[in-house]
Amino acid sequence: MARFDETIHQPVRLRIIAALNALPEGAQLDFGTLREMLEVTDGNLATHLRRLEEEGYITVEKTFVGRHPRTYIALTPKGRWAFAEHVQALQEILANDKSKPESG
Amino acid sequence: MTEYPILPEEAQEALKIVEQTVRQMRHAVVRGGMSHFLLLWGIVWVLGFGSTHFLGIGSPQSRTVWLVLTVLGIIVSMLIGWRLSDRVRSVWFGPAVGFFWLTWLIYTSLIVFFAKPQTGIQTSLLISLFAMFGYVTSGIFYRSVFLSGFGVLITVLIIIGYLFLPAWFNLWMAALGGGSLIAAGLYMRYAWR
Repeated sequence: MARFDETIHQPVRLRIIAALNALPEGAQLDFGTLREMLEVTDGNLATHLRRLEEEGYITVEKTFVGRHPRTYIALTPKGRWAFAEHVQALQEILANDKSKPESG
Repeated sequence: MTEYPILPEEAQEALKIVEQTVRQMRHAVVRGGMSHFLLLWGIVWVLGFGSTHFLGIGSPQSRTVWLVLTVLGIIVSMLIGWRLSDRVRSVWFGPAVGFFWLTWLIYTSLIVFFAKPQTGIQTSLLISLFAMFGYVTSGIFYRSVFLSGFGVLITVLIIIGYLFLPAWFNLWMAALGGGSLIAAGLYMRYAWR
């Protein structure tokens, strides 16, 4: 059975990881672009990113573009693997439910 | 029997969220990467083909208009590309898109130069078809059915204009070709939010 991941399963974190996973491997996404897409506040996004970073699923890099501070987020190989496992676990839950005989 | 931490309905909902987010992300990347270019080159086509129709095919004025528009288009495209590259940073993704269009430009110029089209309309036809080849292949690259499908649609319009409306070809290209590029750019910008 694939590993169901409680950290990833939280809806905002699930969307963060799914969004990063849709990018090419190694690509970094700008914080503002991600916030715009998810329609969450700076604080809310930062909290979820911290949690994912603690798990080693993402990396957060603070840098400057010209004179402007920018934050870039990227999915780590561990995060990509955990996400794939989590999606597989979700699919298994559904498949298992469908294979159950109808009751009643 | 295996115990699952969530109900099947929750799993289905989560998979739906994943699917929606992936689609949203692809749209965001395509929108960010392509909508500006569609709008820019749509304006170039409207002005370029429109001026060719009114100033005369192959006239020095029309050639000058095209030359100025193309140079401006390339410069603005490079500025947009540079400006957008700080939204998604990637060792190969951004440069790959830039090299793709640079390669496209070099090969299109070489083919048009050596093929020596006999009329101004044939030159317009070749360049327009190559432009659409670029959009269709970009759609494949971005995994965007919309972009590829749009490229195929404009290709069909180009061929219809060339075969059946040769006298109006440039005006046809300005209105339908350029207009469609602008419409697609606006659609991506506002509908894919």
